[in-house]
Amino acid sequence: MDVLRLQNLQKSFGSVRALKNASLTLREGEVVALLGDNGAGKSTLIKAISGVFPIDRGEIFVRGEKVSIRSTRDAMDLGIETIHQDTSLAPDLSIARNLFLGREPVNFGWLGVFAPLDLAKLRKAASELLKRVGISKKLDADALVSTLSGGERQSIAISRAMQFAAKVIILDEPTNNLGVEETHGVLRFVKEVRDAGHSVLLITHNIHHVFQVADRIIVMRRGEIVAEQTVADTDLLTVESIITGADMSALLKEARAK
Amino acid sequence: MPVGKRRSSLIRSPQFSSLVILIVLLAVFAIADRNFLSPLNISNMMAFLPELGIIALGMTLLLTAGEFDLSVGAVFGLAPVLVMLLVQNGNWDIGVALLAGLLLCIAIGAINGLIVTKIGISSFLVTLSMLLVVRGAALYITQGFPLKSWDQPGFFVTLLAGSFNVGSFRFYTSLWWFIGLSVFAIYILRYAKLGNWISAIGSNRNAAVARGVPADAVKIWLFIATSVLAGLAGMISAFRISAASPVAGTGYELEVIAMVVVGGTALTGGRGTILGTIVGALMLRAIRNGIVLIGVPGLAYNIFVGLIILAMLILHALLQKNAARS
Repeated sequence: MDVLRLQNLQKSFGSVRALKNASLTLREGEVVALLGDNGAGKSTLIKAISGVFPIDRGEIFVRGEKVSIRSTRDAMDLGIETIHQDTSLAPDLSIARNLFLGREPVNFGWLGVFAPLDLAKLRKAASELLKRVGISKKLDADALVSTLSGGERQSIAISRAMQFAAKVIILDEPTNNLGVEETHGVLRFVKEVRDAGHSVLLITHNIHHVFQVADRIIVMRRGEIVAEQTVADTDLLTVESIITGADMSALLKEARAK
Repeated sequence: MPVGKRRSSLIRSPQFSSLVILIVLLAVFAIADRNFLSPLNISNMMAFLPELGIIALGMTLLLTAGEFDLSVGAVFGLAPVLVMLLVQNGNWDIGVALLAGLLLCIAIGAINGLIVTKIGISSFLVTLSMLLVVRGAALYITQGFPLKSWDQPGFFVTLLAGSFNVGSFRFYTSLWWFIGLSVFAIYILRYAKLGNWISAIGSNRNAAVARGVPADAVKIWLFIATSVLAGLAGMISAFRISAASPVAGTGYELEVIAMVVVGGTALTGGRGTILGTIVGALMLRAIRNGIVLIGVPGLAYNIFVGLIILAMLILHALLQKNAARS
């Protein structure tokens, strides 16, 4: 089942064509790695999907239904959760408050933004979530995010995406600035997320990580998708040469054959 | 959270250390001059306290969201000047004139907020310019002279600046306004959905926006609220002394920001405490009053005020460092 399908997405900034005819599909319960050099269009693509800005042309389908994504809220409501590098959490808020930021459980909802938070529910849900994702032993739901390590923060951000039963979780460079051990922790967590039935779109620079967790690899260059392969059918060197464009002709043939 | 842990985090919290210093200061002043705790002096302090304290409440919320407002002192001056002019020279009904003053404050706050959020200029520059515009307007429409004294008791005067006696203490209704608004601000920042948004915006705006929090709208409304509170404080002051002056509130913006940061709210956003601000407001009021009483020469007293504020900020910074290390 295709959870997310992008068809011929285009986006220009002035005269720069950041995205030219990008198409891809994401199936249920798989991890797809999106690779590419700086400026290849990866960020533009995920920003378009997560509603940071609208696309110029093209179509987006979620579970086969055509949708239009005009804001981050639209994307979230469609079950697309994006975790941006380093910018996903508010460090001065507790874990519990971060987990429900923007979707706070409240009493007297008719009071709008003045409604009181349902603190008991907030704390209970946060503890349950931390328990479910297996990080409750170390972390207290009332702890401030500023006291957490980088890996713990990523885990919290990913848990938050899972809790809203997200169909698609987009991870933008989730292992940037992390130590070796923390990186492995996050990658293990990504696998668990997939095993729980979520689809993951993983954006990264690090090809080694891709081979550890991804099912498929999609490579972008200059705003286009230039290759799409299952991890089992390829190897590190081949992918590296596709990213850098070392062997254009072979690559084009490959892309056309798909 | 276990009780012990909760207690130690309370002691480490910035508002607690501010409270300890406040108590020490009060004790020192009380011992140095026994008039400090006399009913007359306490009544005096309580008359001034709400006027800056009310502005400080708005400023705390604004700072927590990562912005600040330097135009509050000028708004404090202009709002009553406009209201009094309309009443004295235009023969407007006081209620209608007050409504005009309210609309003026809303407009000033909205312009501040819109320029800061939509054009993306820092609030320092925007509100500094607004300070000049608003103060200039107050000076121009009055030609630089204080207005005639206006002393007609009525519903609004009683509502904002009525007074009552408790034993030998004399209090103004503005104290009730300060208490009521403080309770509301505490509720907003700690318990309401809006407070969660305010803290999140100041802590990491991009994260808040990515979660669908309308950061710009929240900031614009906070600028409006701060402006309206500054205008309210100006009206309270003008009614209390039965006069409006175009230079009233000069320098209040810095005094108010000092109250807020001394109380433990971070100038960089994300961490705000209303209780701390109340302590900060009490502290600055007590310092200003106390050092005059104990005989510091009037012209020297800003030296002491500045040094005490600096000492408080160093203390907060050290506590913060300590907390981060543990």
